[in-house]
Amino acid sequence: MFTLEKPLPRGTEDTAPFWEAALRGELRLQRCRACGHYRFPPAVLCPRCSSEGYEWASLSGKGRVFSWVVVHQSQYPAFNEDAPYNVAIVELDEGPRLHTQIVDCPLEELTIGMPVEVVFEKVREDVVLPKFRPRRRSA
Amino acid sequence: MGTACGKYAIAGVGVSRFGKVPGVSAMGFTLEASKRAVEDAGLEMRAVDGLLAVMPAAIGEQHGWAARVAAYLGLDPSFCTTLDMGGATACGAVHVAMAAIEAGYCSVVLCAFGTQTWPQGVPLQLFGSEFHLVYGDVGAICFTGFIRRRQQFEYNLPDELYGRVAVTCRAHAQRNPEAQMRKPMTLDDYFHSRWVAEPLRLFDCCPNTDGGGAIVVTSVERARDLRQPVVRIIGVGQEHRAEVIVPTGDYQELWGGTGAARRAYASAGIVAADLDCAQLYDAFTPRVVNDLVAYGIAAPEELDRAFARGEFTFGGRLPVNTAGGLLSEGHLWGFGHVREGVRQLRGECSDRQVADAKLCLVTGYGGAPHESPPTVSYSALVLGRD
Ligand SMILES: [Zn+2]
Repeated sequence: MFTLEKPLPRGTEDTAPFWEAALRGELRLQRCRACGHYRFPPAVLCPRCSSEGYEWASLSGKGRVFSWVVVHQSQYPAFNEDAPYNVAIVELDEGPRLHTQIVDCPLEELTIGMPVEVVFEKVREDVVLPKFRPRRRSA
Repeated sequence: MGTACGKYAIAGVGVSRFGKVPGVSAMGFTLEASKRAVEDAGLEMRAVDGLLAVMPAAIGEQHGWAARVAAYLGLDPSFCTTLDMGGATACGAVHVAMAAIEAGYCSVVLCAFGTQTWPQGVPLQLFGSEFHLVYGDVGAICFTGFIRRRQQFEYNLPDELYGRVAVTCRAHAQRNPEAQMRKPMTLDDYFHSRWVAEPLRLFDCCPNTDGGGAIVVTSVERARDLRQPVVRIIGVGQEHRAEVIVPTGDYQELWGGTGAARRAYASAGIVAADLDCAQLYDAFTPRVVNDLVAYGIAAPEELDRAFARGEFTFGGRLPVNTAGGLLSEGHLWGFGHVREGVRQLRGECSDRQVADAKLCLVTGYGGAPHESPPTVSYSALVLGRD
């Protein structure tokens, strides 16, 4: 069998700024200059209005758990030692939904609608993954 | 849409050996299934002048797969192309076949598929997007778990419902000697099966399957001269979209495939209540829940009781997945479902024959739910006895 390492993001022209922002501890997404839509995943065209113009807008990092699963048996062996672990979709206050992980929260306390806020987890010197933790008090 | 509907027929269906079949290539399965489907139709291979081959995902990016299949089959097709809609391809290929014949490009189309799920002994779905895989979100299972949790949250659906879907399919597999999973299953067995990606248990998931399937499409007139009773393609529908993570942010509806359903029923000129049986894409139990709602067969709130009362089994309101579904028969990307629908309408299903089956719905679902954005295709056929 192969031993596999966990994959790390390899940014493209469109997506690298997302990861570079994360490295600086910022959550940024493309916002369409024409219609204001937040583009996720990042891309050269707005899926709502086909405009090319955008800015890398800063997001609040606040949102709610939209859904989640607890993986007991990963289809990717590098994650097996983490099992059971959660993967989640967080709906940001600004609208976009990110795939992510919820940290600082026992698995049995996860609920749909739980308020969460972004945290930045350094997984390598040059790579940071945005994750989310429960918001203890409303902000 | 739908001008081609009613003019074309599925004249032959076939599957290769399937299950855990190591050492056979995707091409090997494709050829086996193709030969059986063409023989089933009562045709010579050289009568095939159109070829649609499904790119086996495990192979990865290669060019000209369909031309290679044609070469192996010794064909000189006037229309030949590779298709990929994931698990929606079986039904989707039939749409394309009808269109190609309607356009006059060819007259007998073979839709062929084969896959070797574990060609190197390791899972191959490693390519996922940078926004998913880095979090350990791998493959369609996590995505399906997200969907199921939303189904349950929004409609207060009990865990038992998903168990009943699995138990119903497994019970149907008792009547199918070809099914991979035939050991009887109770609701208790279901609840004792291990978690894969909570809320999904092992028995919420279909078995990985090596194998192939093929379908022969031609005109109704031509089919009438062939070996089998004519099974007419009376309705088709497709829908393609980004689920859950929505690039436009506009789409909030939970149930996927409502557009495919509307188009399929409109082109067939039927309503859900007209159906005699249905083969619903069930790689995972939440997909059956989705399709029963999206295709207008039942309301979400009534599903658990309806399953418990046997409404979706033999003798009930609408028997679904009569061969055991992907959950029990095996996962040939929906080719098994098309085959079962055709066989029900031909009346050749012996122990599991739905009495006087005249109309069957077949649904397909597939794509890249583990990519960003998670995009999926829905496809459907309404098949009718001539
Ligand atoms: Zn825009």
